[in-house]
Amino acid sequence: MEELTLDTFRQMLRNALLRIKERQDEFSQLDAVFGDGDHGTAIVAAMNAVVETAEKGADFKTMLNDMGFNVMLQTSGSTSTLLGAFFLGMSDQAEGVSLSVTAVKKMFAGGLNGVCTQTLARKGDKTMMDALIPAVETMAGFRSDEIGDILAAGALAAQQGADRTAGMKAAFGRARNYGERSVGSADPGAKSWACMLSAFAEAVIPRFAKVPSG
Amino acid sequence: MTQVKTKFINRPENLTAELLEGYTLAYRDKVALGAENIVVRRNPKPADKVAVVTLGGSGHEPALSGFVGEGMLDCSVVGDIFAAPGAQRLFQALQMFKRDAGILLVVLNHSGDVMSAGMACQLAERAGIKVKRIVTHDDISAGVGRPDSERRGLAGCIPLYKIVGAAAEEGKSLDEIVEIGERFNRQIATLAVAMGACTHPQNGALLCDLPEGIMEIGMGQHGEGGGGRQPLVSADDTAQQMLASLLQQVPLVKGDKAMLYINGVGGSTHMELNIVFRKAYRLLTERGIDVVDGRIEEMLTVQGENGFQMILAKLDADHVELLKNRRADAPYWTTIGK
Repeated sequence: MEELTLDTFRQMLRNALLRIKERQDEFSQLDAVFGDGDHGTAIVAAMNAVVETAEKGADFKTMLNDMGFNVMLQTSGSTSTLLGAFFLGMSDQAEGVSLSVTAVKKMFAGGLNGVCTQTLARKGDKTMMDALIPAVETMAGFRSDEIGDILAAGALAAQQGADRTAGMKAAFGRARNYGERSVGSADPGAKSWACMLSAFAEAVIPRFAKVPSG
Repeated sequence: MTQVKTKFINRPENLTAELLEGYTLAYRDKVALGAENIVVRRNPKPADKVAVVTLGGSGHEPALSGFVGEGMLDCSVVGDIFAAPGAQRLFQALQMFKRDAGILLVVLNHSGDVMSAGMACQLAERAGIKVKRIVTHDDISAGVGRPDSERRGLAGCIPLYKIVGAAAEEGKSLDEIVEIGERFNRQIATLAVAMGACTHPQNGALLCDLPEGIMEIGMGQHGEGGGGRQPLVSADDTAQQMLASLLQQVPLVKGDKAMLYINGVGGSTHMELNIVFRKAYRLLTERGIDVVDGRIEEMLTVQGENGFQMILAKLDADHVELLKNRRADAPYWTTIGK
């Protein structure tokens, strides 16, 4: 696939909602270790708003913008701030009704940029950034004409990044107060974002689902 | 959830709506509900001047809505008890105050408030609404010189409302107001002390449950700890200890002009607050510091908590002018002006 259409992108979003819903309890349980245990509920609510809005979109820029707005207006908390910022950032770097390989990379880079404006967390801080940053960096550097391969490479990097958070000490959010004690369990946000990015890839290349996603 | 047996309330889930109803009825010549949980001035400021908006949870009355009025805030966006309002509500308020002159949003540094403000401002920017933020972080309980992000916003926001509110009222630009406000923000520090316990009005939980004879310096304004527990000492010794810490953050020297406020947090009597003020004032004047503005008041409270917040700031000449000599007429703050 050399062009990403709106319909395929909507398919990716629907698949992300589906996969996140399946693992909702796992994300909440991870969050209960050092947070308030609502991450599963929060990310599902936010993704619901995303998918619902995406169904009405007519081009990438306005659709992504509306998705960002609705996530932030319909749900609250850090999960929706970051997810909303991701789609708003994507909107800044996307236009038209289909995207080339270069345009897809640019859109995801824009998403990361949007998130960077809302959080000071970076790689190694034990947050969702440990999934998102490697994913976007890998996608940017991955040479292929196949959008599916690029998404898959990003998804793998996200999964590995999310797994690495288990060994990290939290530097952000409520978990920060636990210091050294936060080592040993993975960050729920990193896990759910890796799940989302993996579901994006899976929607385009179904065989990707066979890759273990921890 | 324990039933609350020490407060005059109706249904716990209606606290915020009912308190705002009572407040806006009592002071209906000055304030009104612009929409659900949005308190605005009865007589709006002309639209060619910068609007000053703030946000925060309820349960701290008279803050924050008590300071909506001429020469202070144009609007306060209210959350539930001790909870930040959602970004949606805040965005609604920003839409109401959209104007070419812009909006100054004053945010107290608490994660929920900061997050709602971040979201709402991001959306506002995209909706063509001009808004700038000042985040207050006057608390020094995390330690003197700690990064701003680790310092909570306590009652120091209230004199800041007065200063930026007066600057906005006289028609200064948004950039000028931000500069004046941020300069004040860097020169102010607050430290809280608490003892005993108080009750969360919704769930009946005991906040800051300290045994008799023990005080905690550095208490946050939701009963969350932060400083050190120690045996209760006299008013003078408490004042001396707190002032010494504040002076490390606000390096006042002989000849400087200072602001000293004692904010009662709900349980301690004005008798005690007066006694504490007196000692802190004396210690400052002994150093040759000119306390040009003093105030002993319950401004931002924590239910029935015993204790107070001591607020100290170094005032520049324009701060003195805006704080003391410009008219303000909010239900809980009146300055006649010169």
